[in-house]
Amino acid sequence: MERSKISVRNLELSYGAARALKNVSMEIRGCAVTALIGPSGCGKSTFLKCINRMNDFVEGVRIRGSVFLDGEDIYDRRVDTTLLRKKVGMVFQQPNPFPMSIYDNIAYGPRLHGIRGRQELDGIVEEALKGAAIFEETKDRLKKSALGLSGGQQQRLCIARALAVRPEVLLMDEPTSALDPVSTRKVEELIRNLKKKYTVVIVTHNMQQAARVCDDAAFFLAGEMVESGPGDVLFSRPKDRRTRDYVAGRFG
Amino acid sequence: MREGMKTKQNMLCPGSVMADRKKKAVVEGIAQAVFGVCASFVILVTASITVYMIGKGASAFWKVGVKEILFGTVWKPTAEKPSYGILYMILTSAVGTGLAVLLSVPIGVLTAVFLAEAADKRLAAVVKPAVELLAGIPSVIYGLLGISLLNPLMYRLELALFRDSPGHRFTGGANLLSAALVLAVMILPTVINISEAAIRGVQPGVRAASLALGGSRIQTIFCAVLPAAKSGIVTAVVLGVGRAVGEAMAITLVSGGCVNPPLPFYSVRFLATAIVSEMGYSSGLHRQMLFAIGLALLIFIMAVNTALTKIVKKGAENGG
Ligand SMILES: Nc1ncnc2c1ncn2[C@@H]1O[C@H](COP(=O)(O)OP(=O)(O)O)[C@@H](O)[C@H]1O
Ligand SMILES: [Mg+2]
Repeated sequence: MERSKISVRNLELSYGAARALKNVSMEIRGCAVTALIGPSGCGKSTFLKCINRMNDFVEGVRIRGSVFLDGEDIYDRRVDTTLLRKKVGMVFQQPNPFPMSIYDNIAYGPRLHGIRGRQELDGIVEEALKGAAIFEETKDRLKKSALGLSGGQQQRLCIARALAVRPEVLLMDEPTSALDPVSTRKVEELIRNLKKKYTVVIVTHNMQQAARVCDDAAFFLAGEMVESGPGDVLFSRPKDRRTRDYVAGRFG
Repeated sequence: MREGMKTKQNMLCPGSVMADRKKKAVVEGIAQAVFGVCASFVILVTASITVYMIGKGASAFWKVGVKEILFGTVWKPTAEKPSYGILYMILTSAVGTGLAVLLSVPIGVLTAVFLAEAADKRLAAVVKPAVELLAGIPSVIYGLLGISLLNPLMYRLELALFRDSPGHRFTGGANLLSAALVLAVMILPTVINISEAAIRGVQPGVRAASLALGGSRIQTIFCAVLPAAKSGIVTAVVLGVGRAVGEAMAITLVSGGCVNPPLPFYSVRFLATAIVSEMGYSSGLHRQMLFAIGLALLIFIMAVNTALTKIVKKGAENGG
C-alpha cells in the first residue's frame, strides 16, 4: 500500500469543555479526493481545520494527538504554521475574496511569501487562474474589483488564490453550498481535475456530490470518525450500521 | 350594521389574504411623509446655512475683490488704509490641519488596530474608556493644558534651536507647532473610534483567507484588514479634518495669534481663530470680512470632503 499523504492519529479536540473530535484516526491518500460526510455539527469542519491548524486561533481550544503530513507531525513544537499553511491551502464555505482587484487577490499569497517581481507574479497569477478554470472569464478585467464577480466565479477565484501559493494539499469546506447548480457543476469538475496535482479533502453536505467527486470518503458522527474507505464501498456497501442509515437518508 | 359585521367577519376569516387596503395605504403614506419631512429638514438646514454664508460672506469679496482677499498677505482690517489679505490664514489652517492629521492618523489607526484586534484584552479594557474620555474633554481644556504644559516646553525648544539666529522673533512657545500638536490630540479620539468601527466591520472571511494563505497576524492586519477598512479610515480622516479646521477655542490659546506665514516656530493665526478673536470689536467691512473668512472655511472643508470621497470612490472602482 502507498504511503498516505496525511495520517491522523488519535486526534482529540475540545472547545472549552465541549468535545468536538473523539479519538479520530484516519489515512488520507495523496493525489486523490477525500470527501468528509456527516450530519451538521458532527465535527467535519473542525477536523478539516486541524489539518492546517486554523483551530489555533480559536480561544480555549485544546488539541491532542498527531497529524502527520508527509511523515512530519504538524503539531510538533518546531512547526512554522506559515510554512504549513503555504503547503496546505484552504477554500471556505462562503466565497471570501479580498475587496481588491482580481490580480491582487491572486498575488496576495505569493506576495506574503516574498515574491515581488512583476513578471514572476504575472506568471503565477495566470497559472493560478488557469488552474482554477477562471482565466478566460477574468483575463480582460484583472484590474477590476473581485467583488464584481458572481458567487460561482468568486469561489473559483478563491480556489485560484489558494493555488497561487503552490500548495500540495487543498482543504475545501462545503465549497459549493453557497452556489447555484451551474456553478456547482463547474467547481465539481474543477475538483476532479485538481486531484492530478493536489491532495484534496472536501467537506460536503451533499451525498450525490460526494459520490460524484470523491475517490475516498469518511463518515463522521458526533465527533467520531465512524468509517472510512473507498467512496464506492462506503456509499454502496458500508460496514457500519450508522453509516448505512446515514447514506440511506435515515437520519441527519 | 349587518353589512359592517359581515366584512369584519370576512377579514377575520383565518387564512384569508383580503385586508383593508385603504387603511394600510394611509398608514404607509403617513410613514413615508414623516420620513420625507425629516429628510427635507436636514436638506433645508444645510441649504440655508450655505445660502446664508454665501450671502453674508460674498459681499466682502464683492467690495474688496476676490484676488485681494485670497492672495493678499497683509491683514490690517482696522488700519487707516485697511488691507484684507487672508492668504496666510488660509495657509496656516491648511498646514496646521495637515500636520495634525499627519500626526494623529498613524497613531489613531494603530490604536484602533490594537483595540479591534486586541492581542491584550486587559490593556484594551483600559485604553477604550481613556479614548472615550479624551473625546469628551471640552476643547478649551486642551487649550489650557497647551498653555501651561506644551508652550513652556516649546519655548525651551525654541530657545535651544534659535539661540544663534538673532533674526528670530521668539514666540514664547505659542506657535504653529504647538497648535498642530494640540489639534492632533483633539482629533485623535475621532480617528480612533471611526477607524476601530471600520476595522471591526471587515468581513471575518477576509482575516481567515489571509491567515489560511500563510499570513502572520501582522501581515493579515496590514495587507488585508486595513486595505479592506480603507473607506472607513478615510471617513475618519475627513471627520478629523473637519474638527481640526473648525476648531478655534484651543487654538486661540496656543498658536500665538499673529498673522504670519505657516512656519513651525512662527506665531500664527488660523481662519477660525480670526473670527473668534475679532468678532467682538469688528464693525462694517471688517465684520463682513469675518463672514467672508467663515465662507472660505466652509468652502475649504467642503473641498477636502469632496476630494477625499472622490479618491475613495475611485479606489473602489479599481478593486478597492
Ligand atoms: N469556534 C468554536 N467554538 C466552540 N464550539 C465550536 C466552534 N466551532 C465548532 N464548535 C462546535 O463543535 C462541533 C463541531 O462543529 P463543526 O466542526 O463546525 O461541525 P460540522 O462542520 O460537521 O457541521 C459543534 O457542536 C459546534 O457547535
Ligand atoms: Mg461545517
